[in-house]
Amino acid sequence: MFNEFRSIECRRQFLRQMMGSLSGIALADLAGRTALAAPRIMHHRPRAERVLQIFCPGGASHIDLWEHKPELEKRSGQPLPGEPEVSFQGKNGNLMRSPWEFLPRGESGKRINGKLEHLARHVDSMAFLHGMISRSNTHGPGCVFMNTGSVAEGFPGAGAWVSYALGSANDDLPTYVAIPDVRGEPPNGQANWTHGFLPAAYQGIPLAAQRPLRNLQTPAEVSMEEDAATRRWQQTLDREFAAAHPGETELTARLAAYELAGRMQVSAPQVMDLAEESASTHQAFGTEDANPYLAAYARNCLLAKRLIERGVRYVNLYCASRASGVDGLLNWDAHKTLKEDYERHIPIFDRPTAALLTALRESGLLEDTLVIWNTEFGRLPTHQAGTTGRDHNPDGFTCWLMGAGIRGGTVYGATDEFGRRAVEHPTTVWDLYATVLHLLGIDFQKLSWYHNGADRRLTDVHGHVLQPILA
Amino acid sequence: MAAYPANSMQNEWKAREASDRSVERARTLRLRVTFPALLRLVLSIALSGCWIIIAGAAHAADAPTVFQSEIGPLLTQRCVACHRDGQEDEALFSLQRRSSVAAADVLTPGDPANSRLLEVLEPHGNARPEMPKDGRPLAASEVEKIRNWIAAGADWPEDVILQPPQATTPEQWWAIQPIRLIIPPTIVGERVESTLDTLWLAALNESGLSPSPEADRAILLRRVTLDLTGLPPTPEELERFVHDGRPDAYQRVVDRLLADPAYGERWGRHWLDVVRFGESRGFERNEIITNLWPYRDYVIRAFNRDLPFDQFALEQLAGDALWPDEPEKHFASAYLVAGPYDDVGNQDAKAAAQIRANTIDEIIRTTSEAFLGVTLGCARCHDHKFDPLTQADYYAWYATFAGVRHGQRDVAPAAEHAAREQQRAPWLARQAELQARRTEITAQADPAESQSELFAIDQELERLTAQLAQVPPLPQWWIGTREPASGPFHVFVGGDPQRSGEEVQPKSIAAFASTTAPYALSPDASEAARREALARWLFRSDQPLVARVLANRLWQYHFGRGLVETSSDFGSKGAPCSHPDLLDYLAGELIRNGWQLKPLHRAIVSSRAYRQASTWREDAAEVDAEARWLWRFPPRRMSAEELRDTMLIVAGQLNRQAGGPGFRLYEYQQDNVATYVPLTHHGRETYRRAVYHHNARSAPVDLINDFDAPDCTLPSPKRPSTTTPLQALTLLNHQFTLDISKAWSQSLEQFARDSGAIIDEAFRQAYGRKPSAAERDAALDLISAFGTDAMCRALLNSSEFAHVQ
Repeated sequence: MFNEFRSIECRRQFLRQMMGSLSGIALADLAGRTALAAPRIMHHRPRAERVLQIFCPGGASHIDLWEHKPELEKRSGQPLPGEPEVSFQGKNGNLMRSPWEFLPRGESGKRINGKLEHLARHVDSMAFLHGMISRSNTHGPGCVFMNTGSVAEGFPGAGAWVSYALGSANDDLPTYVAIPDVRGEPPNGQANWTHGFLPAAYQGIPLAAQRPLRNLQTPAEVSMEEDAATRRWQQTLDREFAAAHPGETELTARLAAYELAGRMQVSAPQVMDLAEESASTHQAFGTEDANPYLAAYARNCLLAKRLIERGVRYVNLYCASRASGVDGLLNWDAHKTLKEDYERHIPIFDRPTAALLTALRESGLLEDTLVIWNTEFGRLPTHQAGTTGRDHNPDGFTCWLMGAGIRGGTVYGATDEFGRRAVEHPTTVWDLYATVLHLLGIDFQKLSWYHNGADRRLTDVHGHVLQPILA
Repeated sequence: MAAYPANSMQNEWKAREASDRSVERARTLRLRVTFPALLRLVLSIALSGCWIIIAGAAHAADAPTVFQSEIGPLLTQRCVACHRDGQEDEALFSLQRRSSVAAADVLTPGDPANSRLLEVLEPHGNARPEMPKDGRPLAASEVEKIRNWIAAGADWPEDVILQPPQATTPEQWWAIQPIRLIIPPTIVGERVESTLDTLWLAALNESGLSPSPEADRAILLRRVTLDLTGLPPTPEELERFVHDGRPDAYQRVVDRLLADPAYGERWGRHWLDVVRFGESRGFERNEIITNLWPYRDYVIRAFNRDLPFDQFALEQLAGDALWPDEPEKHFASAYLVAGPYDDVGNQDAKAAAQIRANTIDEIIRTTSEAFLGVTLGCARCHDHKFDPLTQADYYAWYATFAGVRHGQRDVAPAAEHAAREQQRAPWLARQAELQARRTEITAQADPAESQSELFAIDQELERLTAQLAQVPPLPQWWIGTREPASGPFHVFVGGDPQRSGEEVQPKSIAAFASTTAPYALSPDASEAARREALARWLFRSDQPLVARVLANRLWQYHFGRGLVETSSDFGSKGAPCSHPDLLDYLAGELIRNGWQLKPLHRAIVSSRAYRQASTWREDAAEVDAEARWLWRFPPRRMSAEELRDTMLIVAGQLNRQAGGPGFRLYEYQQDNVATYVPLTHHGRETYRRAVYHHNARSAPVDLINDFDAPDCTLPSPKRPSTTTPLQALTLLNHQFTLDISKAWSQSLEQFARDSGAIIDEAFRQAYGRKPSAAERDAALDLISAFGTDAMCRALLNSSEFAHVQ
């Protein structure tokens, strides 16, 4: 009985796997008609069709960006009540107030860091998760955890799961794109958007304004005529070979893959051609800003917009990179000099991100695009001994969602009066992704893949849909 | 001042996770309430998703009591996983039996208000109930049931013992039953040469299918050559075999291939997948490891020598301890530390303990899956949900590997160390003497008096330093260090290193006790003895699973699919075995062959099953599209390594240099963390077999990882085979393809001046066949317009090139 079940499961998985080898390539049928997307796994009516995930690596401080703590301001300089603490980097000093004023924004009057001038426009659309908790206090595992639901590497990124479940929604672009920052990849790099144990067809494809798709261009030494003739002949060989071997789906899939590759060579440069956008759009995003990091991130925001417009299912956009030798220089890891670090990072992040959200709203795409903002953990309300920075805090931090199916202007969960620990509705990454999958029409408990002894899920054996933030 | 929340976040985490887990458990687990009655009459009643098995005629006749139907299942589901017999922590008193509950004094029959059991389950104000610590609080209705039960006298029959549930019993687990001696059935009307074929045909016939005829000789040679060596046959080998009329022509080919050093390079790579061999540390810093390659070379050598697998395993698990004077055995034991580990360093003691536990966990998982085909890692936080593997089993392995540390050291035998020390000793002694004297002088009231002596001392010290520097340091290798396994070791309750459960010793897995003689070591057993005992237990003659797992792996790599599809999981969550008799026959053969693999390879590739054509047959496909019953040989796409190596060898560019440090297809950049940037141009120094690529973790290289070579972060018992447009882009446009096309066309043009002859030769090399007239004409057109390079680029990209029939 159990074995029978197992074999049905295997067959189902096998079929998906076969489709997977086709889904990434949007199988064109024999008559050469419009490409078909793979059949999607759907458990209920979806609210969202695609996801934009904006990730600020380095541990972006919740109490310096999103969650206002009046008590922390009052007691700044006093010891943190409770146990004296040693955290990731060592000893901590007393409580330290945020260096910035928190201003009420939007109709909701939700207070956020006053320096986030542009994102202030969107506050009423955001649903804040102030009670996030993580399992790791280290950047690499923390980032991987927030992207894959597992602290250990080797598990598929959320976008890979979504690609597996929903397949492609376009004919000529990847399904899942990761946009690394100009300053470098996030901690643990590609492990954040890997397909893990899922088939390679579901991998995140790294692509950025500063980093075109690899191997996209026909090499300069091969003329267009030569390339066309060569591929025409190869296609003839492959067609004949497939015809001589009926029943081999892999051979037809391969033909389709080469066709799609050809289309990608046309469409990918188009999607990356930002010059197609109007001057006012460039102006709004800040692509010509004097600050090269701001301009580079703005270009990636613009790229994200164009990818979403063309039906890419999951876009994983990064603002900042992995650590350099200097804490907080290249990412949000403000161990030593919080004020200087964040006054460098906030402007880079604020305007382009806000412009991207505005563009999605104006085009109506926000209706069925779910936006996630996250980071791997928050920061302590104390300063690190001998510095004006803060150490890692996995026990309470903030993420937010907006767009498709999200009730804007909501706040779910809270940390204590200092921001040290989540005390109200502690929320895990599994809850976050249970909610994301739910909005995509997927029952998070049913989306699984057998690997090394377990039916693995994005949400492991955990997760609850966060109903209070749903519209 | 606001009081700090008493239940720290750590507890909140545990609560959240355990709650989710217990809900999960409730979904999947069965509850068994067993009665130590004489009559083993079993009646099962499904109640609220649980099973109660009642043994005993008297009970069975009665309707189940409230305790049996409601309270018992509830306690079992929510409490007994922790509150069970044998817990060291007194707070974890047993809730398994009436007597233990009475001893703990937690309930007063008839008086709910005076029962602590009830008190801890109820919420007080806004605070969550004290219990269950791991889990969502009980529903109000559930608490009410317990209240009523206590009020009614807390009836609990003496002979009802609640059991922490388990899905499969050892007796029910097919994979750990003794290997059966298989007597092959007789097949009517078929010419059957071997037991293997008899067993295959019997199963095939049973499914109403018939076998395919033998494959065309050229196809067969290409198949078996790629399978055994990872390289295609040369046109000369092809010519020779096709025209070899001797009855043992095929056997000669097989013998030749098994003796080819390329065999170890191909089959060693399979093993490297299984044991997650990777040459960077993984995790955040992911620093490159440049001195682990001797392990890779050791594996390749072991396959080529056909080192018996029991010895191979013993050397990997404990070679350093058993043969301390043999460097090769140290390299073998690098197996233990060939996986990823977190070396960031964490000042937070709890986090550091967790990281250490994760590191040992990685070794436990890999070892249990690679050798034993069980997912012991699933028993880290709770007993295995589906297989009879307990947390105690898991932590017995923890105690086994607890002395293993990642890192590097030298492998010089003791004698070499001694000789080195002997050479250095007099200089070191003299150095110490001089330094002492120097300190003495400088401490004097007026050091100036001894100025000349000081000068002489400094001069001599300088000389000594130079002399010492001339004795070169011993080379360092990534083998890891071993430290005493100083216990005591405990079960980590819920997988949490901060919560110790019962004490554990290194010992065999309990479920195997009925088939495989168990062992248990004393707490003071040496670190080396722990690993050795495990390795020897795995390869005892009465151990049934290891041989099955290994035989199945061989089958999987030959046919693309194992008889058990989940080749690292023979548990009940794994796939069922399609050919149990065949598997037992192969496992038995493996043992009878003294754990050598080559005889089994020979038997498999010589079988009719293997030599069949791969031609698609509509009628058979309707019954068995996946060819699970092997009505044909299942065709496949080349692996990443095969594809790259074949491109190189066809173009005459493959450098066969074996062993030593690997080449890199990325640029390695390191500051605080490591970055691996894939190369756009692959220099000629990289034209070695792909098994010698320095495979770093999370460092995908287009030409290798696009074609499903796994990231070596997790063990990869079976690679997927996908088809993606990225593969097409890589193969079409990467400079590597262009360079190879050019080199190949040059060698073709050297071979013949005439385009027709060039085309014939290119087809022979790429496909092992002649071109058709139409193919030749089209190729001629392409060559005349764009040169031979263009034809080569097309052939390298074509389906037939990458397809193994």
